[in-house]
Amino acid sequence: MSIKNDLYKSHESRLEENIATFADLLRQEGLPLGTTEMIDALKTLDRIDIANRSEFKAALQATLVKSYRDQALFSRVFDQFFVPPEEYQKKSEQKDSYRQQLESQISQADNELMFKGESLQLSLNELQQYSSLSQQQREGLQDFLRKTETGKNVESGFRPLLETVVKSHLRYCRTQEKHKQERHNYGEGSEIGADSGSDDQNLREMDIEAIKAADMPAAEQLLKKLSRKLAVKILRRRRTGPRSGPLDLRRSMRDNMRFGGIIFNLKHKPKRRSKQQILLLCDVSASMKQYSTFVLHFLLGLQEVVRNLSCFSFSDNIENLTPELKGRTDLQHILDRVIRQSKNWGGGTDLGRALFEMVRKYPDLVNAKTTVIVVSDTKTVSIDQALDELKKLNERVKRVIWLNPLPVVYWPDYRSVNKIGELVEMWPCSTIAQLEEVLTGRL
Amino acid sequence: MTMALSQLRKKFEQVGYICDESTVLTVFLALDLQKPLLIEGAPGVGKTEMGKVLAQILETELIRLQCYEGLDETKALYEWNYQRQLLRIQMNRNLEDEQIREEDLFSSDYLLERPLLKAIQANKPAVLLIDEVDKCDPEFEAFLFEVLSDFQVSIPELGTLTANKIPVVVLTSNNERELSDGLKRRCLYLYLDFPEVEKEVEIIKAKVPGVGDRLAWETARVVAGLRRQQNLRKKPSIAETLDWARALVALNRNRLDGKLVADTLNLVLKTHADQQYFNKEIGHDGIEKMLKNSEDGGEVCRCQ
Repeated sequence: MSIKNDLYKSHESRLEENIATFADLLRQEGLPLGTTEMIDALKTLDRIDIANRSEFKAALQATLVKSYRDQALFSRVFDQFFVPPEEYQKKSEQKDSYRQQLESQISQADNELMFKGESLQLSLNELQQYSSLSQQQREGLQDFLRKTETGKNVESGFRPLLETVVKSHLRYCRTQEKHKQERHNYGEGSEIGADSGSDDQNLREMDIEAIKAADMPAAEQLLKKLSRKLAVKILRRRRTGPRSGPLDLRRSMRDNMRFGGIIFNLKHKPKRRSKQQILLLCDVSASMKQYSTFVLHFLLGLQEVVRNLSCFSFSDNIENLTPELKGRTDLQHILDRVIRQSKNWGGGTDLGRALFEMVRKYPDLVNAKTTVIVVSDTKTVSIDQALDELKKLNERVKRVIWLNPLPVVYWPDYRSVNKIGELVEMWPCSTIAQLEEVLTGRL
Repeated sequence: MTMALSQLRKKFEQVGYICDESTVLTVFLALDLQKPLLIEGAPGVGKTEMGKVLAQILETELIRLQCYEGLDETKALYEWNYQRQLLRIQMNRNLEDEQIREEDLFSSDYLLERPLLKAIQANKPAVLLIDEVDKCDPEFEAFLFEVLSDFQVSIPELGTLTANKIPVVVLTSNNERELSDGLKRRCLYLYLDFPEVEKEVEIIKAKVPGVGDRLAWETARVVAGLRRQQNLRKKPSIAETLDWARALVALNRNRLDGKLVADTLNLVLKTHADQQYFNKEIGHDGIEKMLKNSEDGGEVCRCQ
């Protein structure tokens, strides 16, 4: 009996370790898991049949996942981590075969990258990187080595220099590939990208620029739905309790005259709510076209509830889109027309000049009640002038929210992003989900 | 209050709440771990109903707190009966020999219990339903933390009141705004989606007396077809499906057709825009197609 108990305990501790590792994987994927969730998950183990896979999965899901948006991610990580024995066997075999294939590729790479009959001194990672290049890229490198070998005044001492060149080239290719992959992952998730129309959840997580033409109607529909949701939120009747504001002495005294001046019923002043004024500035330079269209789509859905919504496009100067967009319902038609007529659409960006023009031409729109939303990747000429103008604008308005469609991983690489980020609040908005999160959370 | 999983499953069936296995398991864990249960999902999938059903299953009182913007602790937790306190002071003025103390005025006699306090003070574990928690202000959400994690509340004049019996707490949210991590951390999470056609047929049969197999299948099919329409402003809820099925039974119908759907459309689609969309984009033909697909799938035949 005691042996059995010990066995059970050892299994149990292994399971606990596995769950801790699993939780760590979920954290790496961005799920905000705390100790409380972990404790809850472990507590459930005594209460369920852990041999029943679906029961085990449902219990972990109930304790670890706190948003329906994360359920797909949980499911994916769970299926990859808690693998049934037969599938594990299959995966091990695949892994062995992959290892063999890798070894043969590395040996082939070693043979192909020769200089004067000897292999170049490259690390395993570099050889692997070389193997992952396209046929054309590999032939290019081989050709380069051959030509160098047959060149004039090429001696054996030339080898270290040549190795440095090859290594740099491989590093460059790796960086390019990494950026490409990050952009792909960032926008599309891991299992998306089929040609067929994607569902709402996939569309929400997809990089706006990567949304295919076939998915555009669904994406627009989704935007319409989200903006309607936000509109309902803004419009919702605000039922306030009797003690909503500060005490109103004058009304209290008047109301209590009938009780001989004893303050029996207290009267309160209603809470004051200032009217929202939103000023939207959309960067419509070539790199920003699709993002700006989406933000416009989203905010135009709010026209009926946010009456003080003004929209401007900018690249090297500003253009007022508000009269075009007010009071119409067919957004696509309006947007097409605006795109066709706009002088700015698809040009270069001079943020400083555009902001200067904005404040000079439309001073009424730039006041202490205004929330300015700027949609731009911050790529502009004369950044210092732009920063000066942005600073001035920031001092005049209630707040400036900057929506940046550049993936966050690239932000440290751009000086303009860092500088602007120091001045105003900046949020990523390369996916519909991010756009929704920022706008619903901050308006 | 503790109940085995199989027992809970059976109880759900007995009260006619049809749901999938993972839902039962999550509710079971919430009861067993004595953790609040946060239920999210589209309007009309049965979130509020879950609170009511739990009170029925556990044979206890349901205490409901409906959240709205501006809800504060005086409406949710407690309030001093100011008028009664004043009256007591006035009455006491005329009685010279009886001195009134401050403690007398701030005793439980002058305390107006609101839902949260009522749930905590209850002698039998009650079901506390905090409905549409996403509609309350973030400040109130933060105020709920103490109640949900320690099942206690602090009243300055009385001190900390701890729950006599830990209530079963069910929070519902329509996901209109993201709830704080702090609140989520204190709860187990359940997302309810619209049921599959088969489940909805079971629900219709359980809730609508006199409905035939064919009518139940066809109603569920058409409702599922309507829910798939991305352009609809408001998707039909389960309650609307049931109302529709009841109306069809009252009309002595045992099967659906395009005309009947169009005539009774206002029971399922409740906005003018949705009705216009239906007439323009779906119409009789669309309904006939949905019904034909259901026949092709053989589900109707299997039922009969």
